[in-house]
Amino acid sequence: MSTYIPIDSASSPLGQDASKTAAVGPSLAFDDQRHLTAHRWLVEETYILDRQDYDAWLETLAEDIHYFMPIRVTTALGTGYDTAKDMAHFDEDKYSLSRRVARFDTGHAWAEDPPSRLRHHLSNVRTFATENENELVVESAVLLFRSRGDVLEPSLLSVGRVDLLRLEDGVWRLARRHIAADESVLRMQNLAVFL
Amino acid sequence: MRDADDVIANVRRGMLPAHIYNDAEVFEAEKERLFSRAWMFVAHESELPQVGDYVVRRVMENSFIVSRDQSGEIHAMFNMCLHRGMQVCRAEQGNASHFRCPYHGWSYKNDGRIVGMPFHKEAYGGEEGFARKGQRLLPAPSLGIYNGLIFVSMDPDAEPLEDFLGDFKFYLDYYTKQSASGVEIRGPQRWRVKANWKIGAENFAGDMYHTPQTHTSVVEIGLFREPKAEKRKDGNTYWAGKGGGTTYKLPPGTFEEKMSYVGYPDEMIERMKEQWSQEQVDVIGRDGFMISAASVFPNISLVHNWPKVAEGDDVLPFISIRQWQPISADETEVLSWFVVDKEAPEEFKKLSYKAYLMCFGSSGMFEQDDVENWVSLTNTAGGSMARRLLLNGRMGMLHDDSPVVQPLTEDEFCGPGVAHVGYGEYNQRHLLNEWADYLEKPAPVTENIHVGAPNVDGECSSETAAQCSSEKAEA
Ligand code: FES
Ligand SMILES: [Fe+2]
Repeated sequence: MSTYIPIDSASSPLGQDASKTAAVGPSLAFDDQRHLTAHRWLVEETYILDRQDYDAWLETLAEDIHYFMPIRVTTALGTGYDTAKDMAHFDEDKYSLSRRVARFDTGHAWAEDPPSRLRHHLSNVRTFATENENELVVESAVLLFRSRGDVLEPSLLSVGRVDLLRLEDGVWRLARRHIAADESVLRMQNLAVFL
Repeated sequence: MRDADDVIANVRRGMLPAHIYNDAEVFEAEKERLFSRAWMFVAHESELPQVGDYVVRRVMENSFIVSRDQSGEIHAMFNMCLHRGMQVCRAEQGNASHFRCPYHGWSYKNDGRIVGMPFHKEAYGGEEGFARKGQRLLPAPSLGIYNGLIFVSMDPDAEPLEDFLGDFKFYLDYYTKQSASGVEIRGPQRWRVKANWKIGAENFAGDMYHTPQTHTSVVEIGLFREPKAEKRKDGNTYWAGKGGGTTYKLPPGTFEEKMSYVGYPDEMIERMKEQWSQEQVDVIGRDGFMISAASVFPNISLVHNWPKVAEGDDVLPFISIRQWQPISADETEVLSWFVVDKEAPEEFKKLSYKAYLMCFGSSGMFEQDDVENWVSLTNTAGGSMARRLLLNGRMGMLHDDSPVVQPLTEDEFCGPGVAHVGYGEYNQRHLLNEWADYLEKPAPVTENIHVGAPNVDGECSSETAAQCSSEKAEA
């Protein structure tokens, strides 16, 4: 089984400089050391995101990160696309992500103050080798549960992700993340959270 | 709607019954009287660049296919099959010369005309039993286009779109006519917020007062050149025709200097100078006001701002159009498009898009904090205590209804309408007064449309009588 990547950086106005490393071959066995490394990385990350320790999260991102979540649209079978052209929910580089994180540190980011209670439910993780032994492609599914305050209904966001992990100076960092939202209309008041 | 007269009288004096922001009866009245009449934005022509392109958009719960037919003409057609009512097109967008109903296979051209009915002869007795001629997916009762912005009205007797917009057209041009080619629009991002649709419209129409508090964080992270959000109060708010908005006061300089201060490259400034009237240029160049957020009654808003998109001092402007699509008294679907001059340099388009994403839309750092307020307000407005509360919406007005500051004279502001410098809720009151005007009018009278059969008078009933008879003659 090879990987199907419906979304790629090149289809984004801001992703032209992102790494183009692609997966090679079928998914790795679950007891393969590389899969165990990648899976553990993702699990650790969900705890950082749920804790909303975004400064720590920024540390895990490579300098050339492309963090991309295009708009999903409903098109007829065979149309050849299911994301909006040149438009995304997130189309981020390290600078814009760092501004988003800096905002949470101001004490005046009302959208997350009081903070949401978050749970990133991570599953379906599979890992692929690439032509570069320092880079792995990892796919995963995330169901984000988000609850705010005490009266509002919680919201859910289901997405599929394709990540590129890169070993830099002995540390694995996220160099690319493509997020496929499973809804065309998000049932969430904003995306003041990361996926 | 309970105590409708009281509600309207209070709104008209600037005292706002809090429950209008979350009341099912008020919402029903809005559906019946306001959204059944007013012009509603559905799409921009640039979303349909090729013949056959279409998008599916809603006006309240009515689904419309907005398409460009084979001759290039734009249509908005009710997305319901004339046979048993199946939704004819279930994709959000695409390109098609025909739409075929999945239920029994009736098919329609992309201008709405019926072209195929399986077993027409066997099932209906052919043209005599069911006249296909003149039958088409119901067109939107009224359709109007301004600067490529496509609007529909559910009222067949709606006043022309340009009359409806009135003097607001002057301001709409700043956002949608920066060159002879007009704009391209991308998106929309769509998401649902548990907030009443009026709050966003009011906020964008004139709420400069919320900026220093709501948007503190965005200023603190250095996204703007102006270090203080209080800068807002040096701007003015204007209301003209069916819309109004806010402006920023810019430092002294020529038109060119001011435009380049907010980040426009020289070639774009040249084109705007050619496009805009002397008055439109003077609002910026002579009077020093740069247009920012605005709302067009009832439910679309525009925004123009100029943040930093990278380390350094350079700022870059972006424009967005958004629609507050009502779902219920306490829920709104937000549709937010990125807008950019078609002739802008590629690099500008890229950075402007980045500026938009950082500030507005589903993940925008401005918008996140706005929506947080609106959701909370809506929720509280649903309770019984809110029914007792008349919110004070009189900012900028003294006890005897005279203004706290005098409106700007023509020498100070040459745009149409009435403009006031500083904080005030003039525009929110204008918007709610329009709202009250509509709520006082009865719903428009509409006629039934008979499909494929002669109506009671034996006349063809779909389309205009003229078209009907010409097609009868053809047949
Ligand atoms: S409902 Fe469309 S063909 Fe029958
Ligand atoms: Fe705001």
